[in-house]
Amino acid sequence: MDIIYFEELFFTLSFIIYIIASLGFFIFLVSSKDSVGKFAVTVSLAGFIVHTAAMVLRIIESGRLPFSNQFEFANSFTWGIVLCYLAIHFIYKFTAVGTFVMPLAFLMMGYASMLPKTIKPLMPALQSRWLSIHVGTAIISYGSFAVAAGLSVMYLIYERNKGKGTKKSHLPDAEICDYLSYRVTAFGYLMLTLVIVTGAIWAKRAWSRYWGWDPKETWSLITWIIYSTYLHLRFNRGWKGKTAAWFSVIGFICVIFTFVGVNVLLAGLHSYR
Amino acid sequence: MIKKIGRFLISFRFAIVLFIAIATYSIIGTVIPQGVAPEFYMEKYKSFGNIMMILQFNKVYSSFIYRGLLLFFLVNLTGCTIDLLPSQMRRIKDDYFPSPRKDSENLWDHKKDIELFKLQLLKKRFKIYDTEKGFKAAKNRIGVLGPTVTHLGIIVIILGSFLGNLFAYEGFVNLMPGETKTFMEQGFSIELEDFYLGFREDGSTEQYYSDLKVFENGKHKDSKKIWVNNPLDYKGLSIYQSSFGWVSNLSIKDSQGDILNQSILKNNEQYFYQPKHLTVYLYGYYPDFSIDQMGQPMTLSQEVKHPHYAVVLYEFGNYIDSYITEPGQAIKYEDIEITFEDSFLYTGLIYRKDFGYYFVLIGVLFLFIGLLMSFYYYPKFLVVEENSILPITRQNIWGFTLQMKKILQANDESEKEEV
Ligand code: HEM
Repeated sequence: MDIIYFEELFFTLSFIIYIIASLGFFIFLVSSKDSVGKFAVTVSLAGFIVHTAAMVLRIIESGRLPFSNQFEFANSFTWGIVLCYLAIHFIYKFTAVGTFVMPLAFLMMGYASMLPKTIKPLMPALQSRWLSIHVGTAIISYGSFAVAAGLSVMYLIYERNKGKGTKKSHLPDAEICDYLSYRVTAFGYLMLTLVIVTGAIWAKRAWSRYWGWDPKETWSLITWIIYSTYLHLRFNRGWKGKTAAWFSVIGFICVIFTFVGVNVLLAGLHSYR
Repeated sequence: MIKKIGRFLISFRFAIVLFIAIATYSIIGTVIPQGVAPEFYMEKYKSFGNIMMILQFNKVYSSFIYRGLLLFFLVNLTGCTIDLLPSQMRRIKDDYFPSPRKDSENLWDHKKDIELFKLQLLKKRFKIYDTEKGFKAAKNRIGVLGPTVTHLGIIVIILGSFLGNLFAYEGFVNLMPGETKTFMEQGFSIELEDFYLGFREDGSTEQYYSDLKVFENGKHKDSKKIWVNNPLDYKGLSIYQSSFGWVSNLSIKDSQGDILNQSILKNNEQYFYQPKHLTVYLYGYYPDFSIDQMGQPMTLSQEVKHPHYAVVLYEFGNYIDSYITEPGQAIKYEDIEITFEDSFLYTGLIYRKDFGYYFVLIGVLFLFIGLLMSFYYYPKFLVVEENSILPITRQNIWGFTLQMKKILQANDESEKEEV
């Protein structure tokens, strides 16, 4: 058996495991059983390990990091989302965080699974050590924004159910969701800044100009402005709770557009499909 | 009145308006094709095209509107940063201490050993100020300057890129092997020694390589092989591998085989042969010729495996016929023969000098340090008095409180150890 066979197998396997984890979290949400929550977390972790194995095999097979076409970006993005989720989970020990993050991961993986998976050598413009720094930070940044958006959705649902107060909710304390979402956003913003900066330095080397209003560049700037606005309103106007949560969701939609929409809808130097 | 306008210009509200305006205008620039001829917009968007031209939607990022927005943004950001400075300078000093805020949670617990807590805080690099009823602690005071440093970074980036673009020197040049390009102002010239492509086993292009030689007053100074992602830097000017193409030798002969005329053509170039009012148009050279689904000629790779030319002839501007020929294969027209052969590669180089880039790098450094200070080195204060332990911070009260709780927990455990 060759490496590719196992890579595809592990990819499919982790996709299935992520679906199971998402279902587990959903059942946890409605049933409020701790054991179900623990199970969902364990399944997510198992999925992440299998997914990592698939990534490692691909790296061995291609002799480079998996950052060269849309499939590899989407695959790495999924990996980043789960990584950030698990990191937050084990630092802060909130089982329910996964409820709204794992579905994002599995949707992103679903998108990846529809793309051509062929391993192609890097085209000349991508042959640079900046590629790993630039895309590596993007994965962490987007993963953080995904977790922040998941936390914000959780907050919004929590707020909606607050009045009813009938059954015991398994969502962590709303206020913690709100704060954590803010802190994770701040981290993602720092990473996004690095993404843009490393991109500019790289563009200077590869294309001669550090900024050229390419759609991808422009949309990353727009995303960055949106999160700058979020941070300012939060810090200076004391925006919290609902408004901030909606803002975080909008920010993440913008991230997704920068990631997927720009490649599909707007042509530019950055569309490595 | 003027004061009121001034306050508005540096106000936070205006900043948000500008944020939204800049973002919206940027989005327009990514949706509407940029830099195309005005007729295109008129045709595509009909009567709305006029309005779009007035609003400069055809060149969003270089429009006066966009520059105006950025200028206002610069004024706004500079103004509000300067405005903030005095209060920040005050807060850095030791004699400043904020009073507890609404969101300060009281962590007091009579079981805790306060003296031990004090030691724990000292170990965490808190500065301790003893008071009559207990003590106060502070850390990371300098972090209050985080936003200012961030803002400064952004100001430097915008100003640097503005000025840089104003004075940038750039251009594009095609060179065939043996040709030279002189940069008068910089006082040197480059000669293309050779240009070639690197191929992989599957025939795909691995890289584009230009061998360049640098000359100053006729003296050979430097040599470098450049490729994409590896430019030549010389006297502040950078020279980048950007594109490439094929040039082909054209010869027109009479029926005896004597050469009447010769020329070299790039793809999509034409040659006019006066005596017969004949236009020879080289539609393309295909090193690895094939036909695509639409019946159009194409090349499978850039490797010379199966070379062909696509040629079109016109007489007095009227179409005669199109031809696919091999190298050296003659197209016969009346009493003359037209042949293409000996194609070779030329390189396309971009050269650019832009000192704005170095400002941008400095600005980025400030921006990044500022962000780290704002998010992870923000000021933290504690008031510890009888029946109260109050954490105070504007930035991340939740995280700070959590951290203090952990320290207080450790306080318990270490006590047990001592017992
Ligand atoms: C793209 C532009 C900008 C960026 C990236 C930026 C970044 C930041 C950051 C990271 C902070 C710290 C906030 C936090 O920790 O959550 C901050 C604070 C702040 N910013 Fe900005 N900023 C920008 C533009 C502006 C503008 C235009 C204004 C002025 C109207 C402004 C006013 C402020 C104020 C008042 C603070 C709070 C400072 C304090 O109270 O100590 N910012 N900024």
